[in-house]
Amino acid sequence: MSKLYPIKVNVNGTIYERNVDARMMLSDFIRHELGLTGTHVGCEHGVCGACTVLFDGKPVRSCLMFAVQANNHEVRTVESLGDKDHLHPIQEAFHEKHGLQCGFCTPGFLMTVTAFLEENPHPSREEIREAISGNICRCTGYEFIIDSVELAAQKLAAAEKA
Amino acid sequence: MSYKIIGQRITRNEDAQLLSGSALFLDDVHLPGMLHAAFLRSDYAHARIKSIDTSAAKQRSGVVAVYTAEDFGDYWHVGPLQVPPPLAIAGAKFNARPLPPIAKDKVRFSGEPLAVVIAESRYIAEDALADIIVDLEPLPAVTDLEKALQPESPLVHDDLGTNLAADVQQEHGNYAEAAAKADVIIKRRFYIDRGASGAMENRGFIVDWDEKTQTMTCWSNCQAPIPLRNTIAANLGLAASQVRLITPFVGGGFGPKIMTSQADDVLLPWISMKLKRPIKWVEDRRENFLATTSERDQIHDVEIALTKDGRILGLKDVFYHNTGAYDPYGMTVPLNTQTHTTGSYDIPNFYTRVIMVFTNKMVVTPVRGAGRMYGVYVMERMMDIAAKELNIDPVELRLKNMIQPNQYPYKTGIIGQDFVENVLDSGNYPATLKKAVEIIGYEKFIKEEQPRLRAEGKKVGIGVVCFVEGTAVGPYEGARVNVDGSGKVTVVTGISTQGQGHFTSFAQLAAEQLGVSVRDVRVITGDTGHFHWGAGTFASRGATVAGNAIYSAATKVRNKALQLASSILEAPVEELELADGVVRIADVPSKFITLGELAMRANPTRGTIDPNMEPGLEATAFYGPPHGATGQGAVAMIVEVDPETYLVKIKRFVIAHDCGTVINPLILDGQIMGGVSMGIGNAFYERMVYDENGQLLNASLMDYLLPVSTDMPPKMELAHFSTPSPLNQLGAKGIGEAGAIPTPAAFASAVENALKDEGVEILESPLDPCRLWQLVQQKQ
Amino acid sequence: MKLEGEHVFNGPQADVWEMFYDPNVLASALPGTQSLTLIGKNEYEGKMFVRVGPVSGVFDGKLLISNEVPPESCTLTVDGKGAPGFVKGSGDVKFVAQADGTTLMKYEGEVQLGGTLASVGQRMIDSVAKSMIRQAFESLDKALQERIAAKAEGRAAEYKPPSEAEFAAAVAKDMGKSVLQSQEARVIMYVVPALLILGIIAYFLSNLPK
Repeated sequence: MSKLYPIKVNVNGTIYERNVDARMMLSDFIRHELGLTGTHVGCEHGVCGACTVLFDGKPVRSCLMFAVQANNHEVRTVESLGDKDHLHPIQEAFHEKHGLQCGFCTPGFLMTVTAFLEENPHPSREEIREAISGNICRCTGYEFIIDSVELAAQKLAAAEKA
Repeated sequence: MSYKIIGQRITRNEDAQLLSGSALFLDDVHLPGMLHAAFLRSDYAHARIKSIDTSAAKQRSGVVAVYTAEDFGDYWHVGPLQVPPPLAIAGAKFNARPLPPIAKDKVRFSGEPLAVVIAESRYIAEDALADIIVDLEPLPAVTDLEKALQPESPLVHDDLGTNLAADVQQEHGNYAEAAAKADVIIKRRFYIDRGASGAMENRGFIVDWDEKTQTMTCWSNCQAPIPLRNTIAANLGLAASQVRLITPFVGGGFGPKIMTSQADDVLLPWISMKLKRPIKWVEDRRENFLATTSERDQIHDVEIALTKDGRILGLKDVFYHNTGAYDPYGMTVPLNTQTHTTGSYDIPNFYTRVIMVFTNKMVVTPVRGAGRMYGVYVMERMMDIAAKELNIDPVELRLKNMIQPNQYPYKTGIIGQDFVENVLDSGNYPATLKKAVEIIGYEKFIKEEQPRLRAEGKKVGIGVVCFVEGTAVGPYEGARVNVDGSGKVTVVTGISTQGQGHFTSFAQLAAEQLGVSVRDVRVITGDTGHFHWGAGTFASRGATVAGNAIYSAATKVRNKALQLASSILEAPVEELELADGVVRIADVPSKFITLGELAMRANPTRGTIDPNMEPGLEATAFYGPPHGATGQGAVAMIVEVDPETYLVKIKRFVIAHDCGTVINPLILDGQIMGGVSMGIGNAFYERMVYDENGQLLNASLMDYLLPVSTDMPPKMELAHFSTPSPLNQLGAKGIGEAGAIPTPAAFASAVENALKDEGVEILESPLDPCRLWQLVQQKQ
Repeated sequence: MKLEGEHVFNGPQADVWEMFYDPNVLASALPGTQSLTLIGKNEYEGKMFVRVGPVSGVFDGKLLISNEVPPESCTLTVDGKGAPGFVKGSGDVKFVAQADGTTLMKYEGEVQLGGTLASVGQRMIDSVAKSMIRQAFESLDKALQERIAAKAEGRAAEYKPPSEAEFAAAVAKDMGKSVLQSQEARVIMYVVPALLILGIIAYFLSNLPK
């Protein structure tokens, strides 16, 4: 029986206290320990970006981090944006512009985009294309995803004004 | 035929669940008492198994069981073949070698399973893999298609005495006669390779044998749930009704998930019955590269015979096709190559021969395009080469030889993957080509922009290609449409969904006939507990084949509702309409009855019913086409090659296509763009690199490059045509693979044009900066 | 992959020779070595714990020394198998006494890799191998200097071989400069240079001074 380490992690505003194996990955912790299965694992080696979550506000690959590294830190996953009856403006934009097909990579994109739009609220198409180049999508060809982020920026700006 | 809901650009029903992260994918399934499996896989591509010692692994804390081939006893069996051999083709030679679930005596590809560990967690299971001591005697690997057929080559299957997997010749007309009459004969050799499907979600399988109810529930992200369920039941001696197979949301299919009867779905159900516990297995990315199917290389020797004014008299294509170490998927991929070579052109004499070869690599099954891309590649390259030799404009040459709109149905004389003659049902091929050429500004580019930019030292080039896409093949699909007592509509079909929008497009088909909102139709796909007849999602057939079944079933329900309402509302059927969830008298809308009420009336719980009536507002329908429907299109592309780095930037990408009646143009656009991005990957970024020992050197996304957003053209320009197919009531054709099929050919054409000063001729795919540099160097 | 290079030992050939005669120095210059046994004439068997990122396991290695021309050169043939994959290869090693009292070692070899190492580690292997070899030699250099100093001072030599963590960190830092951007991608490979150095150890062990 390997040693377990107690950790305290703030995930989407809730503090979770758990005892975990040192080598348990943050992605597995989120998905299987906490049951937040919106974050997906595509490659387990940090390239595809499907596992992207926000770690103290910055996008990280949760498949390349250990759960113990999240002790006393804040993690935000796709579940923090909205639920299926109340979508976040970024999620709405993806819906309206058909920015997803199978949906597997989508939570990763949403978290990347959430952080990106906080940093650059009025991006050009080129800037958007560059910003999402760390997330792989096999279904869409990216065109509609860029459209979605453009619309998301507009929606967030409108909400700001209101 | 004008529709109200079919053809509308409706946003998707399934989005909210997927966007909020609340959609169930395979790895999200948690069952109490669930165990986890991990497979030990061979490092060697070709080796004799001397011994496998699992004793240490079994001792590890947390490990419940470890199995090798021997431990399965009589249950270990090979196959079955997923796709039958091409007996319909005269003279076809086929050596069947189905895939074993786990290696016994010999391993034939790097990644072939040797043992399976069942443990309390995947972490522990993988730890235990390292405890297993395998003694393998390495053998020389077979990796080269031509060398494999030399007498001194090592044999992948010793009992066969050869590495020849199949030899199939087909001819339409008589090529030899055509060649004798020709003014010009041009010969070339092409080397074409493809790669992995690269779906974001890897394969997985979950099985739960419940001893108390004597039933088995499986979750799989496969593309053929019904045949898989039937095979599992048959394997275990269970009634089909004892086994339920559910496909949850699937993170992309693209072909390889159609392959079943692999280690997971053959062995884990047996293990679950033995251990009486649920078992989960999910692939990791490296396993996906090694041991999930993909497409591989073909070598084509092509000959084209033309008159000097550019009329093609005949085409001959002899090609090698790599099937990997086994051939459970029959000849689907190379047959698609054979039926898609002459493509959009009226070529009266065509000879094609495929020599399929076993090598020490994982099996080949369809990857989006499924062999069509190779045929299109060789044809379109020969077109460009012939145009150059005859000094005719490449677009002119194509138009000159194109099948005309009055030539349908066009019988090609070549038998395809559905074992019947490939007949082109409809289309307007010249229109798509002309449109693509017009949108990209072909004339202006060739005459003004290109010379100007070249003078500035920019290596820009343009490529124009045409393609056909055979889709919507049989055998059949089925569907059931039901309106329940509360008025809720449910559509159920057997095929599964991998992101192509079935939950919306299928809802549209039912909503069209039942007068309800698309949002009020619940669609269930790929769950044998709900529907158990059908073949699967492949060959771009979902929307057309399942779609037509759904439409027919919805029509039956509509007619039943009208009949019932007619007697209740006391008005003839012709005066009634279905809208807003009710049936009403068109001119007196206040006289209506809700669909839910009708459904209840059709299903009394007391009294009597008409003996000929079936209860409720429900109907089942099936649809099977006489042969596939063929879509078609043209791609025009402008690229710029960096003269120092040989990186290629796509400046413009235009695709004009025709897929008959469109159910949802938004979903259609998405499918085409997705296909294009995969085609761009195949043209320039993706390649599975094997060394001479059959070692896959790039089994990770770090080294196998999937295209990202910055690899795409600045905008994908789409033009749509719609020549309805006469083969089905909707007039629909498939489109799922269209984007992937022509793109490597267009890429090669444009890059060759960009490097025309260097005199480079491109006869291979994929390309990459190093290779382009080499080709240029060779010419200097 | 091709492996070639040279290293200058700052010591007379005799001292280098003596140091290599001490199996404790050599085995500990390569953290992870669990055992090293002579199983036949010029044939050694070793067990080494190998870590490649998150994949780790024990590697069983066999080493054959051939074409010996003492004290100048020999050929090492390596055959290693383990959970991370397999390694097969051979290399030629040459020793040249220099006029300034140092000893030049030259090595050149070809190695074939398979399994996880080959399919996941490709882009790392080259630079990591070189870095590992460099680090191992530096470690041996320090041991050599300590040995020479101890002899001069008439005391027993004391050297602290680097801990596995220090060793790994040094390699990672090396690689980080050239290949990696991200802090996460720490890939450490011991096998090839380890087996090569095992060969050197083994060579010297098999040529004990009379």
